Formats: sequence, C-alpha cells, structure tokens
Amino acid sequence: MDALANNFQVLFQGLALGSIYALVALGFVLIIRATNVVNFAQGDFAMLGAYLMVAFMVSAGLPYWLSFLLALVGMGLFGLVFNYGVYYPLRHRGFLPVIISTLGASIFLQNTVLAIFGAQPKRLDNVVAGGIQIGSVFLDSQYLVILAVTMVMVAFQYFFFEHTMLGKKLQATSQDKDMARLLGIPVALMIAITFVYSSALGGLAGVLVGPVLFVSIGMGSIIALKAFAATIIGGFGDVKGAIVGGLFIGVIESFAAFYISVPYKDAYAFLMLFLVLVFRPQGFFGERVSEKA
Amino acid sequence: MSTQSLETPRARRLSPWPFILLAIAVAVPLLPYFTNVSHFVLSIFMQASTYAIAVLGMVVVLGYTGQINLAQAAFFGFGAYGVALGTVSYGLSFWLSLAMGIGIAGLAGGILGLTTLRLGGHYLAMITISFQQIFDLVAVNWIQVTHGPDGIAGIARPSLFGHDLSDDRAYLLLCSLVLYAMMAAVWYLPQTRLGRAMRGVRENELAAEVVGVHTLRTKVIAFTLCAALGGVGGGLYAGGFAYISPDNFNFQRAVEFLSMVLLGGVQSPFGGALGTTLLILLPEWLKEMPPSLQFIKDVYLAIYGLAVILIMVFMPEGIWGLLRSKWMKFGRTAPVDTSGIKLLNLDIAVTEATPLLKLEGLRKYFGGLRAVDGIDLEISRGTVHALIGPNGSGKTTTLNVVNGIYRPTGGRIIIDGSDVTLKSPHERAAHGLGRTFQNIRLFPSMSALENVIVGAQRDNNPIEPGGKALVARAMSALQFVGLADRADAIVRSLPYGHQRLVEIARALAGHPKLLLLDEPAAGLNQTEKMELVELLKKLRSGHGLTVFLIDHDMGLVEKVSDRITVLNFGKKIAEGTPQEVLRHPDVIAAYLGDSNAAA
Amino acid sequence: MPLLELKNVASYYGSVQALRSVSLRVEKGEVVTLLGANGAGKSTTLRTISGLLRPASGEVWFEGQPIHDMAPEKIVRLGISHVPEGRRIFPGLTVRENIMLGTSNRGRLPKKQMADEVAEMFEIFPVIKPFENALGWTLSGGQQQMLAVARGLMAKPKLLLLDEPSLGLAPVIVQQLFATIRVIHARGTTILLVEQNANMALSVANRGYVLETGEMKVEGSPKELLGNEEVRAAYLGGHG
Repeated sequence: MDALANNFQVLFQGLALGSIYALVALGFVLIIRATNVVNFAQGDFAMLGAYLMVAFMVSAGLPYWLSFLLALVGMGLFGLVFNYGVYYPLRHRGFLPVIISTLGASIFLQNTVLAIFGAQPKRLDNVVAGGIQIGSVFLDSQYLVILAVTMVMVAFQYFFFEHTMLGKKLQATSQDKDMARLLGIPVALMIAITFVYSSALGGLAGVLVGPVLFVSIGMGSIIALKAFAATIIGGFGDVKGAIVGGLFIGVIESFAAFYISVPYKDAYAFLMLFLVLVFRPQGFFGERVSEKA
Repeated sequence: MSTQSLETPRARRLSPWPFILLAIAVAVPLLPYFTNVSHFVLSIFMQASTYAIAVLGMVVVLGYTGQINLAQAAFFGFGAYGVALGTVSYGLSFWLSLAMGIGIAGLAGGILGLTTLRLGGHYLAMITISFQQIFDLVAVNWIQVTHGPDGIAGIARPSLFGHDLSDDRAYLLLCSLVLYAMMAAVWYLPQTRLGRAMRGVRENELAAEVVGVHTLRTKVIAFTLCAALGGVGGGLYAGGFAYISPDNFNFQRAVEFLSMVLLGGVQSPFGGALGTTLLILLPEWLKEMPPSLQFIKDVYLAIYGLAVILIMVFMPEGIWGLLRSKWMKFGRTAPVDTSGIKLLNLDIAVTEATPLLKLEGLRKYFGGLRAVDGIDLEISRGTVHALIGPNGSGKTTTLNVVNGIYRPTGGRIIIDGSDVTLKSPHERAAHGLGRTFQNIRLFPSMSALENVIVGAQRDNNPIEPGGKALVARAMSALQFVGLADRADAIVRSLPYGHQRLVEIARALAGHPKLLLLDEPAAGLNQTEKMELVELLKKLRSGHGLTVFLIDHDMGLVEKVSDRITVLNFGKKIAEGTPQEVLRHPDVIAAYLGDSNAAA
Repeated sequence: MPLLELKNVASYYGSVQALRSVSLRVEKGEVVTLLGANGAGKSTTLRTISGLLRPASGEVWFEGQPIHDMAPEKIVRLGISHVPEGRRIFPGLTVRENIMLGTSNRGRLPKKQMADEVAEMFEIFPVIKPFENALGWTLSGGQQQMLAVARGLMAKPKLLLLDEPSLGLAPVIVQQLFATIRVIHARGTTILLVEQNANMALSVANRGYVLETGEMKVEGSPKELLGNEEVRAAYLGGHG
C-alpha cells in the first residue's frame, strides 16, 4: 500500500469514528441547551442502546431491523424515565447536583448492565456484510453505514429544528424558559422530548458503533468523553460545532494512532481538548463567554 | 450599647454523640494492641483511613469551595506511585518518596486548576474526568516506568524516629494519626482567611471577587490542597498494601471517592470520614449476608449509583448533615456579647483636592447596544454622589464598569489618582472600592459575622494583622448598621431588610475610600427606607468616605446626596445639586415623558 | 363583569414583598395604565396576572374565572398575552420565527393561516418587515420592542399586558410605538399598560392607576392623573 492510500484509509476510519462522536455530541448539546447542564450519562445511552440491540438480536433472535427499531423505541422510553428520575427532581437546584446525579445514573446503568450481561464484551454483526474495495483502500460496510446514517441524522435534525414548529418551540425553550411559558409553550414537556430524542440518538450511535468496537460496559464512557471534548472544541452548546468537533477528533485520533502510537489512542482527544482550552476556550464556533453581572 | 441579657447564658447542652464518636476514633487504632485482630480486618481499616484522607480533599474542593473534581483517584495515584517508584525503583527513603509523591500530586492539581478553573462548571467536571483517564492510560501503558498493568510490588514500610512501622498495627496507627491530623486541619480551615474565601467562592463567586477575594487563586489553592491530600492518602496506601497497580486509581475509584464524600456529607471532614468508612465496610458486610441475598454483592456498584442520585435528591447534606441538624437541637447558642465593640472607624484622610473617582469618556457596548456611551464624571472626596435616570439608561452598567465586573469598551477609570481601567474587581477592592448589589449578593449559608469578615479581610485593609482584628472590625461594622446582636445568625434566615444592612456592613468592613451602592432602597418598606436614610447620613458626616449611589427613590436621593448625575440612553443629560437637577426640564421629560411628544 | 379583576393581591418576589395589596379591574375594550416609580410593583403585578408569580394572598379573576393558581402556559391559553419588560426576544431565532411562536397558545395552525397572520403583523409593524429573516439579537432596541409586541399579538389575546414598552427607546421611536398601541386598541384588543413614561401612557389610556411601594394609591381618568401631585411625587419625590 502506498502512503496516499494509507492516509485515505485512515481518514475514512477517522471520519466514521468521528461521526459516532458527533452523534453523541449532538445529544449532549441538545440537553445542554434545553437544561443548561451536561448529562454525564450521555455515553451510557450509547452503551445501553448497543446492549438493547444485543438483547433483541442475539439473545431473543429477532431480525435486525426489528431489533433496531425496538432498541431505538426502548431508548426513547428510557430517555423519558431518565428525565423524570434523574433530572426533573433537581431542576431547580443548580448545575452541580444535576451533574452529580447524572454521574450516579451513569454508574448505575453500567453496573446494572454488568450484572445482567456480564463483563465479557459482546459482538454485533455489521448491518451489511463486506465492504467496497477501491484499489488498495478497503471501505468497510459498517463504516459506510455510520457515515450515511450520521449524514441523514444531521440533515433530519436540521430540518426538524429549522422547519417545524416543534423544533422552534424546543429552541425557544432552550433560549428563554420563562418567555416560552408566557407564550404557552409547555416547557416541561419540551425538556422531556429533548431527553427522549437525545437518548434515542445516543442509542443509535451505540447500535451503529457496536460492530466496530466491541459492545462493552465501558464503551459509553470513552465515547462520551470524546464527544464532550468535541462539544468544547467545536464551541460549547453549538450544534455545528459538535459535528465538526466530533469529526475533527475522530480524524486526529485515527492519524495519531496510525503514525504515533496506538496505546495512547484515547489520550489524543484530551490533548486536543487541553490545547483548545488553553488557547481558544470558546472553541471553533463559540462566542466568548458572555459577561453577566 | 449592649444588648447582653441579664441572665447568665446557659451553658450549651451538648449531645453525647460527638464524644462517643471520638471514643470510637481513639479506640479503633489502639484496639489491635489489646485484642487479636486479623490481618484482613487491619487492612480494611488501613484502606478506610488512607481513602478517608483523599476524601478530605474532596471536602475542601467540593464541600468548601463548590468545585467539582473527578480526578481524585489520579491524585491518589500520584502519591502511591511516588512512594512505590521512589522506594522500589529508585531506592529512595519512604519519607522522601512520600514527599515527592505529594508534591507532584499537588503540582498536577495546581496546573490542572490554573488551566481550567477559570472556565468552571461543566468544563471542570469533564476535564478532570479526562485527566483521570489520561492518568490511567499512562499508568497502564508507560511500562518502563510504571511497570504497566502488572503494577509494583514489594513496597516497604518506613520507620519513624527509630520505630519500625512494618507491623500492621503500628502502620495503622500511623495512618490513623495522619488522618486525624488532616481532619483537624480541614475542620479548622473554614475559620481561616483562606477557608472563608473558599466558602465565599462557593456561595457567590461574583460577590467574593468584588469584596476582594482573589477567586481564581482561591480555587487553585483549593484544588492544590485537594490533590495534595489525595497524594498523602495514596502514599500511605502504597505503604500499607505493599503492592499497587493501575486499577487502584481508575475512574471507578474517583467515583467511589465522590460517592463517599456525598454520602457522608460534603461540608464536613467528619462527614467525609464517615462516608468513607461506611462505603468500605458495606461491601464487606454484604459478603457476610446469607446466600439468598448474595446477589446484592454483584450489584452493589449499581446501588452506589442509585444511592448517589437519591442522596442528591433527598439528602444533599449527607448523613453528617442529617445527624448534625439533630444534634443542633440539643445545643443553644449563647447570645452575642456586644459589649466592648469599638466604634467603626471609617476615617479617610481627605488630603488632595483631586476627585476621588474620575471617569473619562467611559463607554460600554453590548453588541450594538450602547449601554454606556461616553460618560465623563468626577466625584469629589467625602461627598455622596447619586446617579439617576430612567430604567435602562445605563446606571447599573456604569457601576459594573467602575467596579470591574465589566471591561469598558473605551475610556478610563481613575480611582484616587491611579488608573484602574484594566484591574480586576478584587484588585479594585484592594484599592479601597466597596460595593453593594441591587439584588443582594451575600454568602447565604454563612453567618452575618462571617459575611462581614470576608469583607474585612481584603488586601490592604488598614487594620492590624491577625484574626482578632478582623473579627473586631467586622463586629464594629455590624454594630454600625445595628445588627451586632445578630452576628451569629445565618444570613439566609435574616429578613430582607437586615440582609441589605449586612451587605452594607460587609462593604464598610473593608474600610473603603469609595462605596458604590446599587439601589440600596430597593425592596425596603417605608420604615426601613427611613432607617437607611439615617444610615446614609451617618456615613456622610465627616468621615471622608465617598459614596456613589444609584436609586430610584427620589425622596431618598434628594435627602442624602450632595450631587446628582442624570443618565439617559447611556449619556449624561444633567448634573448638579439635587435642587437644580430635579427641576431640570430634561430630567422631568426623561422621567415623566415629554408631554409635547405625547400630544 | 370586568374582563380582569385583581382583589387584594399580595405577592413576593424572592423574599421581598413586592405587592402588599393591589386591587384593580380592567373592562373589555379599555386601555388601562398602571403608573408608578421603579420598584413600586408594576412589573410584579403583571407577572402575577400572567402566572409567572403566584400571589401569596388575594385573587385574580379573568372572564369570571379564578386564574391565580394557574400556570402561565395555561393562562395564556385563556387569552392573556404578556409582553414582558426587556422584550425577551429569542435571540437565536429569526424575526419571523419569533412571531410564529406567538401562536403557541392556540394549537396547530394551517400553513396558509400562519403565513397570513404573520403578514398581517408585518403590516402593523412595517419597521421589522425588512428584518424578517434576521436573528432576533441583531435587532435594535426599538425593533425588538415592536417584535415583542407583534409576538404577543399573535396569541390573539383578549387582554394584552404590556410592560414598559418605551424602556430605553428614543423619543421618536416611543411615538411610533404608541401610535401602534392605538392601532392595536382600535382593532379591539384590551390593554393593560405598565409605563414609566406617564405622560405617554396617559395619552393612550382610558383610565389609570398609580402604584406606590406595592399599594394602589390613586385611580382616575388621564385628566385627573395628569395634574395629580401624587403622580409627580411618585416619580420625582415631591419636585417638578
């Protein structure tokens, strides 16, 4: 293989991995914007989604698409439970209690899944077997699916937020809750919807990435950390930033792993994060943190 | 004036519980010398005591300062690796290795703090998690140094003053003594200058900065202390167990530290120690359970997670908080002794004739909005100067720029001859600038006295050094506003009018040259307003203090001010004595609306 | 039966008692103005009516129905639209989107009807028409105020609560705005107007009330209030 082909192969994998980070980062951003808090269990939504897929497809032997559907619906419902169990009781208590509560939820989820499925990582099959060979570059089908689905989701989300009343109401809720209430927008419902959607989005990321990484208890934390790094690198709370930041981290990570060292693969994202925080804390797209008295 | 009651204050009836706990604390490390305790039980106690030291760090950073740290296991690891590598790989002495481990942990904490504490909140949580993960990665992968996943074995225990500590009982005694010493220090910390600054940051960061607390430095110090405590715990842990490996210091462990401090009670070292003990003993108890309940052992981490959520929802102050509120019912605080309080010294030597505050072409734009649009203003020494104008005319923005909360878009601010335009609020406080806020910003869960002491402890306050002088200054300031007898009251429980007065006392305790009052009469009823007027007149009578105030109550402004400046649309539209200004047609138009325009 | 009636309402804003005892009524078709200095409780009164604050005691009735225990999103569905102080435009949404969100209390509207109603707003407020697709935060203060009122009108309110619409606006813009308020009134909307600009407010009102430190001081016609010493005193503390 020549160097160009190598680089292309690495770039391809980086973009696919970055898409997963971007999907989880999108979920982060939506919840940040709706509630002003970071959901530290966002990565575990991906983990849970992947395990639901394992349960329906591997354990129950259902067909792929049915399992896929059930996993997403299950994750949506879970988002609702999460909203009422973890966020809602603490919504008036500032961000620290909520953060800690979502951390608690993360520990709870990981260990509950551990108790049910055991520590042995599970395998999920590709949606479509095989891939495309172009010269010496091999495009794995699952990576292609990930890229395609991410593009569809980004397009869907754009359409949903920009061209539907519900999307606009969600945006209004995230920008000014009291004003939204004065206009008759049911704010609590909007936040519940945000959790449902974010949870399903996280689940989707998990289902997609399952065949690439193994399905394991810790898969969510590591994805979440990179997704969060993506949101900061892109600009805190910025949708476009989350996507670009996610792709950026995926690509950097793949190249660094290929050219520098594999064992530290997971550290590069954090290194980028530190650099961004020191030199451009508002991220690529963010505005300077606004002053407030 | 003394409000001391005639009856001698009844001695506080104390609950027996603290003494029982103290007895247990003394008994546990000594017990093994008297009865036969298995190696296993001793190691559980060693684990508990070393973990508890790390958890004390969480009390400092999370409980006192209100900042989250999810990398405590990494700092614990620095201490442990310091001891392990120092003694095993490099053949250094235990104590030197321990010192290095603690030093590196503290240094790492300080650097991490410096880079991220400015951003606060979510960033901090995520960055500390990231740091924790990187620590884990390095510990596992940098095999030449850390020995990787195999870990380091054969860590020897030290001797102290010729006593060999290799015996489990002796080493446990060492760990316990260090723990108790650290607990005492952490328990004492809130009453110190630094501790009050930390609590100020937790309670209201902006207010703390404005009254003179270097908030960033305070947070970095808190983080460094937390990390160093982690290092102490980790170093002792390495000696105790003779073997360490990366999985002792992973994110899971960091979360355990967090759960421990939350369960026990984040505000108190006793809570931290209690939570640690409970969560270490719990899994051991679970092992003793009958087989039908053995499944709990498999899910106890899940229960941890659930418990964290439940604690946050139902028991935010932890077990210690609950116990304390029970015990408090036993005790009765003695009335405050208000005899012997010195009169508040507010004297400022009025020497030069130059204005105390000078604004030159001050501008502050928010995007396209010109909130302050080129204001020139001079305030003479020893006067009360009022700034009035309709809503949205830029008054509070002006005050915020003078105060340093906002950076001006243009222009200069000169206080007492020096240009402070680029100085931070705490530097301006050190320059003699005091302030109160429109929507009172106190430290709600601290006492009135503590609130005022934070104001008194600003840099360059011309009082004697030492804690006594601080308290005396604060009591004088409370006496001045008539609240000396409420010094011990928690501010949150005071009525609104009193809270305003405490805020004024906090500003006065810093002995300001210039006092900024942002709508001091807002929310006060008629009687309280009259009292405020009296207070303001008292401030004005010949101390040399200069007051710059905003208020909407024209009656009040007229009664207390020497001069008035009127703003509209961020610009000065009139200035002069109250008589002149309040009759000025432009001012009447600005307030009541232009009657010609209405036609 | 008055359209709106407040009976001895007391409200707390945080720990401050902002309203001690406020009683007022608004008849259908009126423009009523609520005057008073800053901190007198004008905004708190509106916040209590629209449900953002729950009264500590007293009652609020709307069209013969008690509403003081209702949530704001429910009250707006009954037909009270509150345009709060400071405009509160959604900064990240366009002018058009801001206006469309004003219909949130009315359920789903057909596309055509929505477009027509938005077009109608641009007729009433031609100033903001050129900025239809600009983001809210890019507008000037006066444009934002027009937008806020337009958004409030999209609720098709029976009663419009306007809180300090003239705040921070230059005199020319204030005149434009009040001309528009007259138009809105002429089209049949009842208005409760809170203003610091007393002369301006009284020029459009049928009746006025003066609030002082959370209590109703005076009620009267614009003529009575214009010459009233207490009104001037409330603002300028015995001068003027």
